[in-house]
Amino acid sequence: MMSTVESDNQPAASHDAGWIQWLALAPLLAWLGAFVVVPTGIMLVYSFCQRDELGQVVYDFTFENYVRVFEELSWATPLRSLAAGVVGAMIIASLTALWKYRTGRQLTPSALAGPARRGLLVAAVVAIHLEILAPHFQGVYLRILWRSAAYAALTTLLCLIIGYPVAYVMGTARRRWRNILLAAVMIPFWTSFLVRTYAWITILREQGLLNATLTAMKLIDEPISILYTPLAVVIGLVYAYLPFMILPIYASLERLDPGLIDAALDLGARPLRVFSSVIVPLTFPGIAAGVLLVFVPAVGMFAVTDLMGGAKVLLIGNVIQNQFGQARDWPFGAALGIVLLAMFAVVFAAAAGELVSRDRGRGIWRRRWPGRRGSPPPGQEDGASHLHVALG
Amino acid sequence: MKLPGRVWVLVNVVIGLVLAACPAIRAADAELNLFAWSEYIPQAVIDGFTKETGIKVNYEAYSSNEEMLSKFLAAGAQYDLLQPSEYTVEALIKQNKLLPLDHARLPNLTNIAPEFKGLGHDPQLKYSVPYMAGTVGIVVNTEKIREPIRGYKDVFQDKYANRIVVVNDNRELVSWALHTLGRPINDITPESLEMARPIVTRWVSLIKLFDSDSPKTVLLNGDADLGIVWSGEAAILWNEDHKFHYILPEEGAHMFVDNLVIPANARNKDAAHAFINYILRPEVSKLISDEFPYTNPNAEARKLLSREQLENPASYPKATKLEIFRDIGKQSAAIDRMVTDIRSAAGKADKE
Repeated sequence: MMSTVESDNQPAASHDAGWIQWLALAPLLAWLGAFVVVPTGIMLVYSFCQRDELGQVVYDFTFENYVRVFEELSWATPLRSLAAGVVGAMIIASLTALWKYRTGRQLTPSALAGPARRGLLVAAVVAIHLEILAPHFQGVYLRILWRSAAYAALTTLLCLIIGYPVAYVMGTARRRWRNILLAAVMIPFWTSFLVRTYAWITILREQGLLNATLTAMKLIDEPISILYTPLAVVIGLVYAYLPFMILPIYASLERLDPGLIDAALDLGARPLRVFSSVIVPLTFPGIAAGVLLVFVPAVGMFAVTDLMGGAKVLLIGNVIQNQFGQARDWPFGAALGIVLLAMFAVVFAAAAGELVSRDRGRGIWRRRWPGRRGSPPPGQEDGASHLHVALG
Repeated sequence: MKLPGRVWVLVNVVIGLVLAACPAIRAADAELNLFAWSEYIPQAVIDGFTKETGIKVNYEAYSSNEEMLSKFLAAGAQYDLLQPSEYTVEALIKQNKLLPLDHARLPNLTNIAPEFKGLGHDPQLKYSVPYMAGTVGIVVNTEKIREPIRGYKDVFQDKYANRIVVVNDNRELVSWALHTLGRPINDITPESLEMARPIVTRWVSLIKLFDSDSPKTVLLNGDADLGIVWSGEAAILWNEDHKFHYILPEEGAHMFVDNLVIPANARNKDAAHAFINYILRPEVSKLISDEFPYTNPNAEARKLLSREQLENPASYPKATKLEIFRDIGKQSAAIDRMVTDIRSAAGKADKE
């Protein structure tokens, strides 16, 4: 136990340590139990039930809700594509491992740039195969699930492209500017999310601010119709989730030792190389956190599509909300929710696996894989030698 | 005095639990839990009731009958008054969810006009009292649209693509398609839905947006020039600017009657009866008509309305007897499935 060192001097503390920790955790566990575990359990039960004439839940066991979610999925070709994608990813991973073994590189932070590139390549391969898969999602609900994931992925990508530079400027600015920029990112949070969405409606509508400005500057003759289109939905989603991407990356960047950057420049790396080999790998935890914080809520979002999409762009959040509202088919809505949950569990498990291998050996993970991943071998602790290996 | 740390933790936990439990402790008969349509009951009416009786009114809103049913059936004994449309009243009566009204406590019930008594869903007004009625019809911004619009076929032309707003109601959409086919709107079968499918598919590709809460805002903003909306919204638009004309489609239209009902398991039955009787007063009903100009079923209240209000073509259309929706039971799931399918397919076509 970590407290054994302290307990030599404070025997009383080691007695109470376990008791206090459980009591401190109790409210969180109770909250998680009541608002996460129990509702998910109820959803799971409902997903196997049916509805009656009026729309109430009837406890007659059936698989038909899940059948309906996956209806019209043709199995043969997608499996082939999926198998090809998995095999391709495995080949790439093995090649990368072979290469690293050959050059004798240690898993230092700067060497993580390689795996980062590998991960991107795998993602690209999977994405290409999913594109091939997409036409096979003939079923209504599979199409909607696919489209929701696509919108969320696009939102995450745009948030990353827009958010990383902002976070970089914030992280490397002088203290006064840093505080101002931080306030600028945080203040919109203090207003209601709905108010901000309505503000965008005011800007984007035909007689709104944007069209009025463009017409006054004589750039356009007819007002541009942006509102109630997929473009408006993307704008709304990116705006809503941008702070969730900026703040974790900023937190990561703030902890970055500027000495490392100076050292890299001194050693002769060009700024772009410094960025890709030093800064991005070191801020990877921040990026990963930002990606998760944006992607997961974005898939289930329905308020933005309802308000800014005019209820025309149907995403999975809208469909589920509809099942629990107008459609009065709670069992089917529950089945859709469970399928979504399962999707996330798979993605998160894969991402957590990746994150573990990246960790530099701090915290509890160090216990599990001592010496194999993460913890640098003795003699290689200082940053300078890491850079030398990366750039050499 | 310094207490051990864990005692402080315990004290905080207990205080937290007590504070969390407080809202659950409240007097049962000093309140009225009203679950009604959004934009339908004026604040002045609610405040007047509270001022007179001292009963606090908790007003929760919904924008479709199905949404109301969904929440009501799940909520337990949480609501004292509901405001369903006629076909929903029928469904609730069939399932014994409503309290028979005590007419002795509703002396103002005689104010209701005779044409609103004897309707199919509740002929004796045993369970429901008509609140407001209306129609669903076409609003045209005559400044932007010069050609005459007479019915659904005129609205859904290719040249008006992306200029149309409709209410976000799947059953309405299907009933308009059935009107154009000349079929009865309450005849919802797999065959009639298959006939309606291509029509609805084509229409959805022309619609700009779906909005049940406040389609008048969209028309006022100029984001749409044509709308198929509730008559009350159209009446407000007419009062705003006479360029907004209201037309009942020539293929056919239906009337809706929204009613006040009391759930069988309501907790504040006395307050609920008092509220219904209060609404039936002519001067109170007039206040409702002033703010939400739907068709007022209260004959005494109509005597108090101005000539301008009575001549509003959206509020009091010159129409012969119109159909009402009847309860279709489980077929509503079939409607929802089909329209969701159509709407999601249309979304895909947009993005490609």
